[in-house]
Amino acid sequence: MSAPGQEHEHVSVERAAVEGACSECGESQLRRYPVLSEGGWYRVVKCESCLHSESREPDPVGPVVLASVVLV
Amino acid sequence: MTEAIVSEPNLRDLTEEEFVERYGAGRFTCGVLANRGRYVAEHICTDLLHRAFSPIITFSQDFVGAIVGPPEQDYPLAAVNKGNVIFLGSLSTGVRNTVWEYGIERLEPGDLLICNDPFRVGNHVNDMCFIRPVFHAGEIVSFVVIRAHQLDIGGTVPGGFSLMKKNVYENGLVLGPQLIFHRDEPVKELMRTILDNTRFGETLLPDFHTIRSCCALGERLVQDSIERYGIEAYKGAIRYNTDASAASMRAAIASLPDGVYEGEDKVDSDGVDAEQEYRVHVSLTKRGERLEVDLSGSSPQSRTSLNATALDAQTAVALAVKLVLDPFSPFTSGIYRDIDVLVPTGSVIGAGPPAAVMFYFEIQSVLINAILRALEAPLGERAVAGAYGSTNLHTGEGLNPDGTPWFSAAELEAQYGAWGATDAGDGNNHSGLATLNMIMPSVEEIEPRVPAIILHREYLPDTAGAGTHRGGAGLMKQSLFLSDGDHYLVPLHFRSASGSGVYDGGDGRAGGSWFFEDESSDATTPVSEFRIPDPDDFDGSAVVSGVVDPSSGRLDPEGEFAFFGRHPIWSERRGSVLRWITNGGGGWGDPLKRDPEAVKRDVRDEYVSIDGARDDYGVVVSGDPDEDPEGLEVDLEATARCRREKSAERAPGQNVEGGR
Repeated sequence: MSAPGQEHEHVSVERAAVEGACSECGESQLRRYPVLSEGGWYRVVKCESCLHSESREPDPVGPVVLASVVLV
Repeated sequence: MTEAIVSEPNLRDLTEEEFVERYGAGRFTCGVLANRGRYVAEHICTDLLHRAFSPIITFSQDFVGAIVGPPEQDYPLAAVNKGNVIFLGSLSTGVRNTVWEYGIERLEPGDLLICNDPFRVGNHVNDMCFIRPVFHAGEIVSFVVIRAHQLDIGGTVPGGFSLMKKNVYENGLVLGPQLIFHRDEPVKELMRTILDNTRFGETLLPDFHTIRSCCALGERLVQDSIERYGIEAYKGAIRYNTDASAASMRAAIASLPDGVYEGEDKVDSDGVDAEQEYRVHVSLTKRGERLEVDLSGSSPQSRTSLNATALDAQTAVALAVKLVLDPFSPFTSGIYRDIDVLVPTGSVIGAGPPAAVMFYFEIQSVLINAILRALEAPLGERAVAGAYGSTNLHTGEGLNPDGTPWFSAAELEAQYGAWGATDAGDGNNHSGLATLNMIMPSVEEIEPRVPAIILHREYLPDTAGAGTHRGGAGLMKQSLFLSDGDHYLVPLHFRSASGSGVYDGGDGRAGGSWFFEDESSDATTPVSEFRIPDPDDFDGSAVVSGVVDPSSGRLDPEGEFAFFGRHPIWSERRGSVLRWITNGGGGWGDPLKRDPEAVKRDVRDEYVSIDGARDDYGVVVSGDPDEDPEGLEVDLEATARCRREKSAERAPGQNVEGGR
């Protein structure tokens, strides 16, 4: 059995649009997506214009799903 | 839970009282404790270096030691030794994940936790992460960590360096968070699991005991620090240490112009399909003191073990950004404070289970090259040229004449090579990749253990990217095998030049690899009668990889790509010679501005030919570099004329050509 993943030419991180304006620059370009930073994985809502983070929720294991997740 | 986002004060602006209030000790004490943390990490690694049996630890130095701070501070990476930097970026997250999943409440003094799952702790399954909690007054106040490559961890190929492993089941033993020592006694159930499923247990087992004792030494040294300076100062120094490197990186990011910068690089193939290159694309968005690094647009995860995890991506981003923006501050997890990395799940740079992750360092290498390319324009004269691109790993195995098995991994390839030039000077000729500051094992260590003779290691002229500062030169390396053997070869960046020139410097020349088989030899042929090819001899060779003229086997940028994966295993007879030519490093700056005397020295030292001096640098050198190297002379008048003509021939904005 081979690992899956050859269906697409390239892969991208999805940035979901979020209602509202940036509290720092006022632009309405808020997006939600996962990032790695100091402290590991976070689900962030950030302004695409100035990179200000409106929120950062820690996400210990991030988007990777382990086979042993059935134990949790 | 949503984290509060607060701005940080400038550390230099804090009064002494504010500093003490923030860190529980003064600047001097925090500085002493920060340095002492690095000393502890160095001390335990020196201990391991002297006592380990595994050659990849003792000779290649494929390990690192570290101090990670307490859970209440979210497991910051506080101090590391000058070990293999490829482990640094994932240590904080790896320790946090391992302790969290095992259960911090279950840890006791004398425990040693392990985990080697790439998806939990980064790197590959051979890179075991050993974690010892440090207790003070019944509380865990730190973790002493050693991350060390194990000679084998099971899987289909001795040592594990086969690109043909297709999933985690073939890759090797995956060990989630669990104890290998409890209260300083071995956990025999796990020891049996490891030793019954791996090769070279006679090496692994004593190394496990040594690593436990090294971590115990680290624990005693940390406890001694706490006894001398107090627990508040100890914890405060960890916060200070990470805050200081965060501040240094923040200032470095701020020095870059705001903008969006894109770059990419490719790996030749996953070993299955000659036509499918694997791309790593990077987009860096910089605003003020913030940096976002998005790897969207990268290729999907591969069908083989050519994969890296998101944690490896984060490490490579840190190393590349530090290399060009902030090379002198200590590495702690604080450098990530203002850098967000976006990694597409299911990509070759962010693979998920059950993908096999083994050659993650090759993917990191192209990511670093992509970042160097992306930042060339905004960095201007601070840009760094590209390096040799791939470790070109080799694994060999077979039987000695007496029937005993032989094995060699990561010793007889061309794992070290040329770096790109910078504004500071010419590129090094022979260093590890930016992710792999390991030590090349010595010939004297390899040859008594492996039936091979290392015949040549010499630099080739006109392989380096031309520039005001020249790139490092390509290396020709040849090894003669004294036994029949099966060889696993993973050359991953010969299809195109990896050593990109910057600031009008030229690209380094792409290399290749070849096998020469002596068909007239047999088991009784004396070594002195084997055919040893001269460096310029390609007759009868089998091209393993590289873009070559198919009729001659010589490198030819207009030729055809020879695909190494056409033989998953290269079975070669006694007397075969394996040749490598590594990629040249990229040049920095206009080669027509290189000091003619420096070009003359390059001709004397055979980094550049007389023809190359004229064609690539516009420097006319006369004399005979072979017979009278010190008698070479520069014709200054002819050089000035040649350079004027070459300048006039250039189209406006045209970049210069590099190695010949």
